[in-house]
Amino acid sequence: MFNIWYFLLRGLQISAPIAYGALGGVYSETGGVVNIAIEGMMLSGTFFYVWGAKTTGNWFIGLLAAILGSVLLALIHGVVTITFKVDHVVSGTAINILAAGLTRFLCMQAFGMETQSPVNPYVPPTVFGINVLAFFFIPLALFTIWLFKRTRFGLRLRSCGQNPWAADSLGVNVYMYKYIGVILSGVFAGLAAATLYPNQWIDAMTAGRGYIALAAMIFGNYNALNAALASMLFGYAETLTYFQEQIPLLSNISPILIKTFPYVLALIVLAGFIGKTKAPKADGVVFEKGED
Amino acid sequence: MVNSDTANEKIPLIELKGITKLFPGVVANDDVTLSLFPGEIHALVGENGAGKTTLMKILYGEYKPDKGEILVKGKPVRITGPAEAVALGIGMVHQHFMLVPGLSVLENIVLGSEPVSGGTVDAKSAREKIEKIMQENAMPVELDVDVDSLPVGLQQRVEILKLLYRGAETLILDEPTAVLTPQETEELFKTLETLKAQGRGIIFISHKLDEVVAIADRITVIRRGKVIGEMPVQEANRQKIAEMMVGKPVLLQVPVPEVEVGEDLLVLKDVTLVEGGVKKLDGLSFHVRAGEIYGIAGVEGNGQEELLQVVSGEIFPSSGDVLLCSVQVCGQRITKIGPLGRRKIGIGHIPADRQKQGLFVNMPLYVNAAVGWQWKDEFQHHGIIDYKAMREKAASIIQQFDVRTPSVDVPANALSGGNQQKFIVGREISFDPSVLIAAYPTRGVDVGATEFIYRQIIDEKVRGKAILLVSADLEEILALSDRIGVIYRGKIIKEFSREEATPEQIGLYMLGVKEE
Repeated sequence: MFNIWYFLLRGLQISAPIAYGALGGVYSETGGVVNIAIEGMMLSGTFFYVWGAKTTGNWFIGLLAAILGSVLLALIHGVVTITFKVDHVVSGTAINILAAGLTRFLCMQAFGMETQSPVNPYVPPTVFGINVLAFFFIPLALFTIWLFKRTRFGLRLRSCGQNPWAADSLGVNVYMYKYIGVILSGVFAGLAAATLYPNQWIDAMTAGRGYIALAAMIFGNYNALNAALASMLFGYAETLTYFQEQIPLLSNISPILIKTFPYVLALIVLAGFIGKTKAPKADGVVFEKGED
Repeated sequence: MVNSDTANEKIPLIELKGITKLFPGVVANDDVTLSLFPGEIHALVGENGAGKTTLMKILYGEYKPDKGEILVKGKPVRITGPAEAVALGIGMVHQHFMLVPGLSVLENIVLGSEPVSGGTVDAKSAREKIEKIMQENAMPVELDVDVDSLPVGLQQRVEILKLLYRGAETLILDEPTAVLTPQETEELFKTLETLKAQGRGIIFISHKLDEVVAIADRITVIRRGKVIGEMPVQEANRQKIAEMMVGKPVLLQVPVPEVEVGEDLLVLKDVTLVEGGVKKLDGLSFHVRAGEIYGIAGVEGNGQEELLQVVSGEIFPSSGDVLLCSVQVCGQRITKIGPLGRRKIGIGHIPADRQKQGLFVNMPLYVNAAVGWQWKDEFQHHGIIDYKAMREKAASIIQQFDVRTPSVDVPANALSGGNQQKFIVGREISFDPSVLIAAYPTRGVDVGATEFIYRQIIDEKVRGKAILLVSADLEEILALSDRIGVIYRGKIIKEFSREEATPEQIGLYMLGVKEE
């Protein structure tokens, strides 16, 4: 039987990692750093979660490890793009490739297996049967909106993404704010990782969710709440594929075709909306002090 | 408010002593000394690349000087960044505004100096403070709109409010009138007089000599990084300043000979362009005759860019027609012909942005000699490029149009802006088009090169060509045009003949105050 309550909760659980990834993207890109490395940061986070939790027997240490593992790659992205002024997409791509190899290497070192870890029993507590971390993305999105609109930090971060030269001319430390934006995107990627599937690390387990998160961020027009809601659209689209057999209308369609649904949806959304959204004006622009 | 007592003291607000700044291969500032007193407007004039902006960026902390000393109110200081400059009471309005789109006017004003209470930006006290400043200086602006939605004149006002909000006593204005209409310029000058009366000091960078003479108390001329002279405004006149800037006698007014006009060569009929649901051009019509320069005046963003694209063929209008009469064709409807096709039938184009559209900046000059005209038989034989012919072409443009370059092999970006522009003008003219589009032909070009380019354009008119001139510089339009069309919201709302055109009249139409 199709249980709507169960469906809604599962959907929330599946939406959460995408939403955290999207929020991470919002922080980074609001500061003007294009972050396609979210995927790699999430993947790194998933490994570090399992490793941290399994080694210490504590899920919370696992969460901290996940955040550290993601922030480590975020820092690399920051150093490469902000300090060394490399093109953001090039750096992001490199980090995604690095994360794929690094996690396999570390898994081999830590657990003697390359493509998956042993099962990890130390997972975050569940509420209503789902990961407790899945309940926080909407509050965090609302917090983000408040932070951007009302605080000095938010105002300055936005100014760095819109016109870093103007911000610099007013004495705003542009490099610092950009770093903070990127590092926070790592923190959110770590949250995404700890929400995704904390029971085990499996090679390439993020399966493009970092990219879907970016699609959600763009669909949400770089606004935290809208990005979170767009993530739910993608999350629930994926959830549908798991409930396919219980839904009369969908049960006759090939499961393989159904599994492509979230990705196809992402493509359509991007094709239809990408021209209409407004990225921060200096998003992806390499900023150099004293140049205009 | 600045204490009025300071206005009477004779300690300068700012003293720059022996400032030298080296960039790789260039001495941008060479032992420059400059002072600014309270209640004074000090104009800093010089050609593009003379080092005015560099000097001001040093004062504002954006560049570090290699040598020299800065004194603020008699005390030596080290200014390591804009934040220090602001703390010392120095503020700068950059030539390209430093506003943050997507942020409100209020947010732009407080950015970097936000009042904070309880962890959040205290918008209420900021608003009170700004409203007080706006009232004292008669500079009202709406605070809650996106700064990007304001017209240029108001954006500049926001820039000045930013400085006053930070309590600046020294205001540096870099080419503040370059983007303003005559009316807006007048408003600005009123504001500057008010600020001066409060005892603030203003450094006014410009190369518009009329304005300098009108507003400044003292004038310093720099050329190639060096101070050439300093004088009180009473001793200055335009001719003298221009010669000091260029280093040789200059003709400020290029004579425009009377030419008998012929038939219509370029006609736009009721051209409308809708982009993204917005009418960028709205039933725009005009015609340019043989032997005539037709100038388009208007505040930036009223459809000039789209008009240029429609005439060059980069975009096709949603409705209406473009007609051409040239050596090759006559009376032909060219509405749906692209840029290459239009060049082939006699339209030459000096594009608005030489770096983006006029040149391949990283490619050698000889390649750039054929850009836009590469299809010509002289440059290729059965699809094989004839580089020798291109080199010859480049050499002849360089020689004929006085382009200063070490050789035809250097990349285009090795040339100064003025020489790049002369090269483009030379290239377009040398292919002998019947209609010449001249978009912002002297933007960012120094006085000497400007005079040269004006002469070339006038020669084309004498040869019976039709010239469409689009420019943000009203002086330029008045100096060259036989007829002037004022563009406002995508429409030519008024045409003037040379005799009846005055800057004030045109300005009123530019702002849409008057409409036919």
